[in-house]
Amino acid sequence: MNHTLRRLALKGAFVCALASFLVPSLIGSAAAQENVLRVSAIPDEAPTELQRKFAPLGKYLEKETGMKVSFVPVSDYAAVVESLATKKLDLAWLGGFTFVQAKIRTNGTAIPIIQREEDAKFTSKFVTADPNIKSYVDLKGKTFAFGSPSSTSGHLMPRFFLQQAGIAADKDFRNVAFSGAHDATVAFVAAGKADAGVLNASVWDKLVEAKKVDTDKVRVFATTPPYFDYNWTVRGDLDPALVKKLTEAFLKLDSKNPEHAEIMQLQRASKFIPTKRENYDGIEKAAQSAGLLK
Amino acid sequence: MTGVAALRASAMSDPAARGRATSLVLGLVVLWPLLVIAEFKPAAIFEAQNLKTMAGFLAAFLPPETGQEFLVYLGRATLETLAIATAGIVLAFALAMPLALLTTRVLSVAEIGPGPGRRRAQALHYLLRAVLTVLRGIPELVWALVFVRVFGLGPAAGVLALALTYGGMLAKVYAEILESGDTRPARAILEAGGSRLQALLYGLLPGTAQELTSYTVYRWECAVRASVVMGFVGAGGLGQLMDQAMKMLNGGEASTILLTFLALVLAADALSGFLRRQVGEAGTGGRRSGIGSVGVLLGLAGAAAAAISFVYLGIGFGALLTLESLRSIGDFTASFFPPDLSPQWLSRVGYGVIETLAISAVGTLLAVVGGVVLALPASGRYGLAAEQFARFFLNTLRSVPELVWATLTALSVGLGPFAGVLALALHTTGVLGRLFAEALQNAPPQPRDALRDAGAQPAAAFLYGTLPEVAPQWLAYALYRWEMNIRMAAILGFVGAGGLGQLLYFELSLFHYAQACTVIVAMLLLSIAVDAASAGARRRLA
Amino acid sequence: MSFNIENASLTHANGFVALSGITLSAAAGERVAIIGPSGAGKTTLLRLLGAALRPTTGGLSLLGRDPWALPVGELRSLRARIGVVHQAPPLPQRQRVVTAVLAGRLGQWPLWKSIASLLYPLDIAGARAVLARLDLGDRLFDRCDRISGGQLQRVGLARVLYQQPDLMLADEPVSALDPSLARQTVRTLIADAEARGATLVASLHAVDLALAEFARIVGIKDGRIAFDLPAAEVSEVLLRDLYASECAGAAELPTLANEPRFAAHVVDAGPVTQGARCR
Repeated sequence: MNHTLRRLALKGAFVCALASFLVPSLIGSAAAQENVLRVSAIPDEAPTELQRKFAPLGKYLEKETGMKVSFVPVSDYAAVVESLATKKLDLAWLGGFTFVQAKIRTNGTAIPIIQREEDAKFTSKFVTADPNIKSYVDLKGKTFAFGSPSSTSGHLMPRFFLQQAGIAADKDFRNVAFSGAHDATVAFVAAGKADAGVLNASVWDKLVEAKKVDTDKVRVFATTPPYFDYNWTVRGDLDPALVKKLTEAFLKLDSKNPEHAEIMQLQRASKFIPTKRENYDGIEKAAQSAGLLK
Repeated sequence: MTGVAALRASAMSDPAARGRATSLVLGLVVLWPLLVIAEFKPAAIFEAQNLKTMAGFLAAFLPPETGQEFLVYLGRATLETLAIATAGIVLAFALAMPLALLTTRVLSVAEIGPGPGRRRAQALHYLLRAVLTVLRGIPELVWALVFVRVFGLGPAAGVLALALTYGGMLAKVYAEILESGDTRPARAILEAGGSRLQALLYGLLPGTAQELTSYTVYRWECAVRASVVMGFVGAGGLGQLMDQAMKMLNGGEASTILLTFLALVLAADALSGFLRRQVGEAGTGGRRSGIGSVGVLLGLAGAAAAAISFVYLGIGFGALLTLESLRSIGDFTASFFPPDLSPQWLSRVGYGVIETLAISAVGTLLAVVGGVVLALPASGRYGLAAEQFARFFLNTLRSVPELVWATLTALSVGLGPFAGVLALALHTTGVLGRLFAEALQNAPPQPRDALRDAGAQPAAAFLYGTLPEVAPQWLAYALYRWEMNIRMAAILGFVGAGGLGQLLYFELSLFHYAQACTVIVAMLLLSIAVDAASAGARRRLA
Repeated sequence: MSFNIENASLTHANGFVALSGITLSAAAGERVAIIGPSGAGKTTLLRLLGAALRPTTGGLSLLGRDPWALPVGELRSLRARIGVVHQAPPLPQRQRVVTAVLAGRLGQWPLWKSIASLLYPLDIAGARAVLARLDLGDRLFDRCDRISGGQLQRVGLARVLYQQPDLMLADEPVSALDPSLARQTVRTLIADAEARGATLVASLHAVDLALAEFARIVGIKDGRIAFDLPAAEVSEVLLRDLYASECAGAAELPTLANEPRFAAHVVDAGPVTQGARCR
């Protein structure tokens, strides 16, 4: 390597470019990663926040599986799905809708293994800072902020329930914005960038608890019916023994166990439960009827 | 009789008047709907509620975040941004040089005579030009978004996106520079049986090396900004940090990042100025080599920086070229075809095109006004203090990328096209103001001085003596920026400013690749159309 | 008195003494030709008279006013009464001839009129009239970069004719014209000055033209006045002496016949390069 570097320094930029193509290919990225579990999560919150939340869980999984666990931060939902499909990730924290997308992208091979008890009856909260907005109907002609277009609780299900209430997001809003993440949606609404927005109930509760939102100003004016959301998904061709180990590791987590308390609190989970593909059929139907799946 | 009268009448009226009046009316007729579509409502800026929100956010800028953990993070992101820009430019250069060599007409042996193989040479010429158009017609952000999917996460996507877009741009401008110089030496070499490369090295490079180098350095400066922008879609670096800080309205972090970014751009600016001077001196110093030891040293330093960038980023290009990943690239690409050409979708995309055009046109127009207003003091006409202040102001406007401006303007006027207009206008004012000021400084002073010496007021002397000298150049700059702003307007949609970008972001997020493909094709066609239009306009101006 | 220079000197910032001890005056309506070798200070003298350069020492009065003691506004109106024909016409390349000519009156027009005239030329007839006197009537709507060097020089002249100044200064106004056109053009200039009672000071390269058309000849050499005489009294010896230099002892006197053609874009070389060329 040192030798190569010295030679590089002597040659021109052209040679550099070519050499840089070749040198890393000799080292190769695939070979070194046999014993690494590559994990990521959809960026429904700030990637830094996700990293912080994941750290203790990562350590725990390292211990349980005997593999090195590396967390890959991402800022694009679809990139997580695509990476899972192209086998650049082994395990990913997905939303209900991203799981459906992943299932389709992987020809049905992606396996949801585990979810939080809360995810089985998830809701979204509609928030506003405008005193005149009291129900869905008042949203007509306003600027509205969803989270990411790929978000289940920040986009798909709210859009679906709005549609059920007779409001077409593409026509009835003056402007539709995608904040990209749930906490950003609240910031948009608080700052008046959007008249109203929608985000997942769990993040909302967290923000309220942490006093990161001024509840005198921003208030919830509607809540959706419950639906299935987040899960941990593995790519379909991951070693079944490893999948079993991972599933058991999650199931063993117990919020009463002081060693697990921090993990559970950061994951905002009371308990992990197994899940299956069929749980997300409802979401798939909603996505189809909302026109988000073609 | 009537013939003579008509002749006299025509001799006494300005033959250009009718054309001017027509263009004026036409301009207004076109501008009006553009303003409507772009939701041009300047009053919104000054609404009390919006001002308060804005002030609140700006107040949060102080004090800037200085926590150690954050600074370490910031430092790493800054290095990553620099490395992405440098590696991207190196690849772009490697791509552009052969393309420019092949597309420069004056370097074609077949053109002489015309000789044998002319038709084939011409076909190749047009094919390569088309490739260049596609490369730079698709914004780097779109390439980045797409590459993030194919090549996985990390800086590789950013580097490759830069390489493609900037490769196309560099190749085009290189060819233009090569053709604009004195082409006789190159032709002489070709006529004496020299090869294309020899004609380039001995015939064209000596006269154009300085301009080529300074343009490349300038592009590197742009690449630094672009790599920040690409961070917004997950290609790492400062942009990713900035995106989060802006979205979360974390003023303290935002201001530290902005300051870092400002410093980075100013440093890049200073470095590029220094390099350009060095190249200039090497060219005029009368040395036999024409490059000189300073040039060699700088070249080595550049090469080292490039090498370090690639190593720092640790991009496994080898992994990109395995059979498996090539297949997945193929599958991925295939999923974009055929594009969705259903009437409903086409009409939505069509509206997106119009909206994008409106945002870019109105934004550029505002920037021209702002640019002129700031270029006058920045050219040193009103003293040194005004010059320094105006320059600083322009640099600040220019070094904040449009996407960042958009997050700020969205706060002040709410989401929607007008936020995009303002964001484009602010950034472009910085760019155009600087270029306008340079044109002013380069304009010959004699016409203006002569008018002043004949008692004309400064304003009148400027209008009659300086404006005619700089106006064509200003217009060319404005058209060029408009061309770039159309691409940028297409992107601003990613932060909710309407146009094609929002459509593309949405469809890509939902894996509706056929629809996304239509949008990308629309962006490409738009860019080609604007390219042709502005080339035509520039020809008319020349 | 049209202008009066009292013992004026001008030293450039680089220490080069362009003019020293110049005393010169002219009555209203007088016509003066300035001759002398290149680099003698002809252009500098004219710039002094045009209130474009300030004398380092000595007194200056133009049209009865000391330009350098005037407030800005009055200096401007004084300058509006002085017209300068430049050797290389300072016209923007892309400007149209009509606009370039009308610009002669910017000093008299209010700003709104200057702006309006950019949109539509406000005095086409006036511009055409002066151009016609210089045989350029048909070039009215051409762009300045589409006409020849000689035509461009006459457009510069037309601008000053249109300005109708009380003091007309011309710096080698016909250097880019062929002999017969040069003579005709100088006559047009003189006729205009005569008709309006304006003072005309022209520096000329061609000695024969100066002697033939001007009543009073001022010879300048090395920044000083060598002679100031009626044309009839300027002798061959004086001229030889004026143009004699270390390397051109026996050179021909510059006349219309050996006038350098189309020198409109050649900037006055100045004494330094002149010396270099001699060696």
